[in-house]
Amino acid sequence: MASASDGGEDQATLANQQTNIDESTVKEPLDLVRLSLDERVYVKLRNDRELRGKLHSYDQHLNMLLGEVEEITTIREVDEETYEEIIKSNKRSVPYLFVRGDAVTLISPHEIRS
Amino acid sequence: MEASTTTSASKTPADFLKSIRGKRVVVKLNSGVDYRGILACLDGYMNIAMEHTEEYVNGQLKNKYGDAFIRGNNVLYISLAK
Amino acid sequence: MLFYSFFKTLVGKQITVELKNDLEIRGTLVSVDQYLNIKLESVSVLDEEKYPHMKSVRDCFVRGSVVRYVQPPEESVDVDILHDATRREARSAV
Repeated sequence: MASASDGGEDQATLANQQTNIDESTVKEPLDLVRLSLDERVYVKLRNDRELRGKLHSYDQHLNMLLGEVEEITTIREVDEETYEEIIKSNKRSVPYLFVRGDAVTLISPHEIRS
Repeated sequence: MEASTTTSASKTPADFLKSIRGKRVVVKLNSGVDYRGILACLDGYMNIAMEHTEEYVNGQLKNKYGDAFIRGNNVLYISLAK
Repeated sequence: MLFYSFFKTLVGKQITVELKNDLEIRGTLVSVDQYLNIKLESVSVLDEEKYPHMKSVRDCFVRGSVVRYVQPPEESVDVDILHDATRREARSAV
């Protein structure tokens, strides 16, 4: 990973300064995720699963490592007699959780959520 | 390629996607959930960043997000909102 | 490559893997590859009553694509290293 040779150091520094200028702006969707690094996020997954946790790492597939995670799973059942929809939700807490990206549908910075 | 002629009479899908940045859109996912908000940007995977997003499930408002990232593989369509 | 590197640091540690079919397996991580396929040994299934056929399984291979979550041991996560690696990868991916 530390592949920059001594000769390439100056170039790397230049490149970093270049990216630093852009680092606070959202030019592509993944920038939104990058700006949430080390912040609490809300993640919506397939099959009525939701997570809240601190985003410690992610990659381009949206694989993620979250910390201080709370997972909520929602189960919908229809009462056979009254046809009422019964919604049950289960909560659990996990210190660290790796989440495979293919199950992710939405990511949002946490604090703005209603 | 002629950029930014009119918004609604754009020719290719790519032209359409270019023309709707900063506009109010409806994004429908395969699950049937709708997201209404302002399209900030999108990429080649159809990953989408939206602002002031409202989440509608079966036509009912379920959530609001200041910013939202939507993973492209879930996107069924993106349409310009009225 | 980021999470491949991360999982390599967990080799020899106890992890809990939750699959997309809800099966939860706990075991020692033996190896991992670039697809995040994993090999576990001395496995136990969290809900053995529900999956009695898993009682006899000691070692197993899990295809990366069927994984939903992995719970790493708390003490083997270094968030500072992860932040740096993530920023580096985000920069190079553009």
